[in-house]
Amino acid sequence: MTLHGDRLERRIRIGPDGAVTAFSGKIEFGQGIRTAFTQLVADELDVPIERVHVILGDTGQVPFDHGTFGSHSVEQESPRLRRAAAFARRQLLERASAKLGVPVERLDTDAGHVVAGDARRLAYHELIDGRPLEGDIPPEIAFLPRERYRYLGRPMPRVEARDIVTGQATYVADIRLPEMLRGAIVRPPVRGAKVRSVDDAAARRVAGVVAVVRDGDLVGVVAARDDQARAAADAVEVDWEVGPPDPGPDVDIPLRDDPTTEPALAASAVRRSVTYVLPSIANAPIGPSAAVADVREDGTTIYGATHRPFGLREGVAKRLGLAPERVRFISQMSSGTYGRSSSFEVAVEAAVLSKHSGKPVLVQWTRAEEFAFSPSRPECVLEIAAGIDGAGRINAWRYDEHTNVHTARWFDPKNAGGTHGRNAIPPYDIPHVSVVLHMEPTPLRTANFRSLAASENVFAIESFMDELAMASRQEPLAFRLAHTSDPRLRAVLERVATASGWGRPAPSRTDRRGLGIACTVYHGTYVAQVAEVEVASSGAVRLVAMWAVVDPGAVLNPEGVRNQIEGGIQQSASWTILEELRHRDGRVAASSWDSYPIATFRDAPERILVIVAGDATKDSTGVGEPGAVPTAAAIANAVFAACGARVRDLPLSPERVRKAMAASTS
Amino acid sequence: MRFTLTVNGARREVDVPRRTTLLSVLRDDLGLTGTRYGCGTGQCGACFVLADGRAVASCFMPVDQAADREITTVEGLADGDRLHPVQEAFIAEDAMQCGYCTSGMLISAAALLARTPRPAAQEIRDALAPNLCRCGVYGRAIRAVQRAAE
Repeated sequence: MTLHGDRLERRIRIGPDGAVTAFSGKIEFGQGIRTAFTQLVADELDVPIERVHVILGDTGQVPFDHGTFGSHSVEQESPRLRRAAAFARRQLLERASAKLGVPVERLDTDAGHVVAGDARRLAYHELIDGRPLEGDIPPEIAFLPRERYRYLGRPMPRVEARDIVTGQATYVADIRLPEMLRGAIVRPPVRGAKVRSVDDAAARRVAGVVAVVRDGDLVGVVAARDDQARAAADAVEVDWEVGPPDPGPDVDIPLRDDPTTEPALAASAVRRSVTYVLPSIANAPIGPSAAVADVREDGTTIYGATHRPFGLREGVAKRLGLAPERVRFISQMSSGTYGRSSSFEVAVEAAVLSKHSGKPVLVQWTRAEEFAFSPSRPECVLEIAAGIDGAGRINAWRYDEHTNVHTARWFDPKNAGGTHGRNAIPPYDIPHVSVVLHMEPTPLRTANFRSLAASENVFAIESFMDELAMASRQEPLAFRLAHTSDPRLRAVLERVATASGWGRPAPSRTDRRGLGIACTVYHGTYVAQVAEVEVASSGAVRLVAMWAVVDPGAVLNPEGVRNQIEGGIQQSASWTILEELRHRDGRVAASSWDSYPIATFRDAPERILVIVAGDATKDSTGVGEPGAVPTAAAIANAVFAACGARVRDLPLSPERVRKAMAASTS
Repeated sequence: MRFTLTVNGARREVDVPRRTTLLSVLRDDLGLTGTRYGCGTGQCGACFVLADGRAVASCFMPVDQAADREITTVEGLADGDRLHPVQEAFIAEDAMQCGYCTSGMLISAAALLARTPRPAAQEIRDALAPNLCRCGVYGRAIRAVQRAAE
């Protein structure tokens, strides 16, 4: 059986000028996959890297793909592209063999040419000559030996770098089409409100207005300029019927259920049970949601950014009443959105406005819209009870995760453990474990955010590991090592301890500086981190430094890995110390960077040292998310080490830390 | 209304409503989309341009106020094919992820280096503090500005 995408002609093409084009349904959000894929194709096909161009997420050109999530792009897609490149190279060798009358075994490739022992060289494009490479890509195919690679495993600047620094890169809202107009949406007071009636008389008098559109419960304005569209949208009077929002699923899902957990817990020498609480937080991309739609009789084109190009195509087609094949979605450069654009309502809005105005329409949300109408990361309440036996080992572990949906896609209890309950099961050797995911209703709209529930779960698990170590008078690093026999997890923990000087004499308590450790195994990638923090007498927490060791299997671009891990740490430090999205009855209270502050240059730690300790014998795994996952616990554990304050509620606001400090000394 | 602007060293004529922002004129009338919308209230730095050498929020500046100043956008930082030192340094340090905030950071960095050729790390942090980045490249951007200063 041939799966979608396994045909060579849909993966790699060689043009008459020798240019190589590779195709993938994954998308680039700044995580560097275009660069990694370019390296990989250049090496396996044996062509200079400048000749390789990678097309991502254009449904008119790329094979079907479910979406870019879970740091899976490198893990899932690189073997496919590598096989395609190797298969293309083999075909080129076979064609050259026929043409030169030399057996394949006596031919080799070199920088875009097939070379024979007698110094004859044929450029790849001479071997194409109107006959494109094609065929089913075999599941097993020999790769070039590693020492032949010139790009993989070496630090590479991003292929988009020059366009980015010169302002030439085209982001979604930079698309300019002939006759393109601007759209703005009239927002309901709460999501899911129904339109009773629309009075657009005042809006139609605003200069530049081309159309006021009502399509179902979507009301919007199309105008020549963006500010005109906004002014007119503000002038539209809509009578909204506000109903109760869909609160989401309410169901308990056991993820691991050892029947022995409760008796083992009861029989333990030492028992501890605590609760950790994380607030909702906003994805808060710097560039708000945007899309351009061009809906025409002869086909619809959407320019945008989403984690799900084919999902978007289907969603837009359904809303317009078209067959999906009639819609082409072309991915653009995008602001990082960290999962937010798994929901693509802005593309639907632009498509509806284009359909009614008969012109291409760009919709870009305002900052206030982005805060108020984007889905957010859900709240999480995490209850843990554990028992330690007489030998100081964790004997039993009971974990209850209370949260809401973490994905934009329809709730499916079958995959809940890998999404809404991601990383809820601890990575440690514990004999009796019960983990239950409690999906609870919420009026807030929630969906994908970097690592889904893993960041929340790992905050609780890794904070609690420290608490259990304290409760049984053990050293936190040794306590973790005593509970894992996984050599890769042990290796990253030991290495980060060495790098950070873990165990160095603690400065005096009056300095309130301390180190904290945490680790995770996230979709096959191993990460351990040590945070150094300073706590002011006000309770303000400053992240001074962070050391991280990451093992993502075979490393494609070490500089890309470091950048991603650093970014994950910086973003997660912001979540941990600063961020809380306040909301009431489903309405978000934040509307600007004033009401939702994130970390700035002034909050950046003095250094983030990332050691990439990949295992070249293992499959490559992702790095876009795992860097963010252990950071909260590393910081919270460091705060405890610094001042004795165990804070179990995030963010680590000065008030909370001050209170916990006072409690620890009383 | 008609306005005459000086953008990246060239005189440009536009005919736009009086209250139009400089950001909209750059992006929608002059084809200079490297300057980006982020918040519309001058809080994020994505729309920064140089106005007479100072980094300002173009989303907050009405076009008439821009008319008598020298405006430089990210597209105007390079001298032909020769990149500005901050552009070179951001590439060399890989000081970008999604790149959406990069234009604004480059503008702040260029303004800083023009007035303080050898800034201390804290001066770099202070000068770039108005530029928000969600991907978390702050550490790399600080190193890039230091590199550009050398």
